[in-house]
Amino acid sequence: MLFIDTLRTARKGVTANIRRSLLTMLGIIIGVGSVVLMTGVGKSMEGVILGQISSLGSRSMVIFPGKGPESGGGQVQAGFDSLTFSDLEALQNLSSVTSFAPIVFVRGEVGYGREKSAATVMGTVAEYFQNVDVGAEAGRVLIDSDVRGAKNVVIMGPDVVEDLFPGGGNPIGKSITVADRSFTVVGVTESVGSQFFQNVDDRIFVPLSVARAMTGQKYLNMTMMQATGSFDLAITEVKGLLRYRHGIHNPDDDPDKDDFIVRSSAQAGEILGTVSIALTLFITFVAGISLIVGGIGIMNIMLVAVTERTREIGLRKALGAKRRDILLQFLVEAMLLTLLGGIIGIASGIVVAYFGAGIVHHYLASYLFALSLPAIFIAVLVAASTGLLFGIYPAKKAAALRPIQALRYE
Amino acid sequence: MPLPTIPLIETRKLSKSYSSEEGVETPVLHDIDLVINAGEFVAIMGPSGSGKSTLMHILGFLDSQTSGEYFFKGRSMRTMNDDELALIRATDVSFVFQSFNLLPRTTVLENVMLPLLYHPTIPLHERENRSLKAVESVGLTERALYRTNQLSGGQQQRTAIARALVTNPAIIFADEPTGNLDSLSGKQVMSILQRLHQEGHTIILVTHERKTAEHAERIIHILDGKIDQDTRDFQRVMSGHVSSLK
Repeated sequence: MLFIDTLRTARKGVTANIRRSLLTMLGIIIGVGSVVLMTGVGKSMEGVILGQISSLGSRSMVIFPGKGPESGGGQVQAGFDSLTFSDLEALQNLSSVTSFAPIVFVRGEVGYGREKSAATVMGTVAEYFQNVDVGAEAGRVLIDSDVRGAKNVVIMGPDVVEDLFPGGGNPIGKSITVADRSFTVVGVTESVGSQFFQNVDDRIFVPLSVARAMTGQKYLNMTMMQATGSFDLAITEVKGLLRYRHGIHNPDDDPDKDDFIVRSSAQAGEILGTVSIALTLFITFVAGISLIVGGIGIMNIMLVAVTERTREIGLRKALGAKRRDILLQFLVEAMLLTLLGGIIGIASGIVVAYFGAGIVHHYLASYLFALSLPAIFIAVLVAASTGLLFGIYPAKKAAALRPIQALRYE
Repeated sequence: MPLPTIPLIETRKLSKSYSSEEGVETPVLHDIDLVINAGEFVAIMGPSGSGKSTLMHILGFLDSQTSGEYFFKGRSMRTMNDDELALIRATDVSFVFQSFNLLPRTTVLENVMLPLLYHPTIPLHERENRSLKAVESVGLTERALYRTNQLSGGQQQRTAIARALVTNPAIIFADEPTGNLDSLSGKQVMSILQRLHQEGHTIILVTHERKTAEHAERIIHILDGKIDQDTRDFQRVMSGHVSSLK
């Protein structure tokens, strides 16, 4: 049999029974498509999570008042006044930590004319912007002289600008009110979306000294800082100093006995790393299930078609086909189907992942379209080998029969 | 008629039995000794279960014997490997089945061309011409591009005959070719087979109907796996004379 005839026969085998071919391909399309889609989603989610960590800087640490296991929630716990400014001064003498950015929250309405914003108002210092690695989109961020001189200046996040200046316009130099006090806008921070799942763009920053004056608070809501060397040393020193100052005896490092919580981005990274592994496992599991579902689809339709195909093989043998002719025909046919199904599967997986990512990106800025190439490769490999196996194996069995056996197969 | 030195088909003590899964042997053919020469039109007759179809399948290389010898053009079937058997099926023998065995969802012409895919010597550019000629010889030229499921039973069987003809084989085997047809279509099919015989084809027909068998010039009766009677035309004529004389 000429190879061109093998190709033509295989093509006819695919096109003559379109319904059977489509059903076979559907298994491959579902298997490959869902793996491409799911692993793509997994990759995007991983990107979101890793973005949360890297945006914070690899040396970042944070202390806030409160109790609880270190791996607990990330929110500042209200009502704890255990972290005082004299604690801060003492901490600043430690050599293992630097670049302190104490934070005091200010309650009160933010407004410009008739426009209001529900922004979080934070009193902090210049180091804050270095620690979180956020620069100014327009104007500037806080500088030391703002804090020292207790100037009534404010830096706004881009979401706040949208709230207060819905018609557009340059907010720099405008005067807004925060808790009935007038402030001059001197800067707008660049848009960073969320860090550690908190929206950073929806914040207003005032000098720490002003915030203290407004609230009369003698304690900090939290402080950020940077480790100079090892995190372990920094955490040990910080905990030791605070326990000494607060009179806490806690040699076992039991977080329930402390009245403060120390976190590092490494710890957070570990937590998020665990989340990321769990996510990967889940996605792999789902992808595996899709492959099994697709594989069973392929297997089913191939096995259902066996009766008809066995008779066809018997006929072809009766007409003079060699075993090799039959095997080649079915091999090429199965290859055509798996190739076509694989391509459609990859394409549809990519298209859905791409447009899906476009939609999600609207709500979660750090969610970006991503694909996992190894997963695509494995999916195609598994689907193709399933297709080839169940395409060729029955054909191989039938081709070994005497023609009359194959012709009478039921 | 000059006898060729080597017969087209010769069997010696050809036997066939089927063994069930439990290991029970069911004999189907017993020590068949048979010679068929080129150009003959032979009908193999017998009641159902007599083994006539099995004999034809072995002679046509669709099945194999359990014991005994089958010589085709002087060569023993036992000595042939898979590819050699395939080559004989492609070039020397062809079949017309009771149930037509056409490829579904495929046109008349494509079905007729099918054996040429496996024929080693007929060149690519001759295929369509040859197939069209074969289609013409069974009177289906106007239906050549119809799909086989759009045809009547008689037309489907004529398509199968065209497919059997297209390689110009040494023997055409016909297994109850009229079994699934109405009487008119059956007559058409038989007259085509007779014409092919007159054109020089060797034809071996299996049937259980006396009337169909009488188209042949030699009738072999099979009963319980053995040859019961082997009569040639002139003997039939003679016996007819004898009976009419009584």
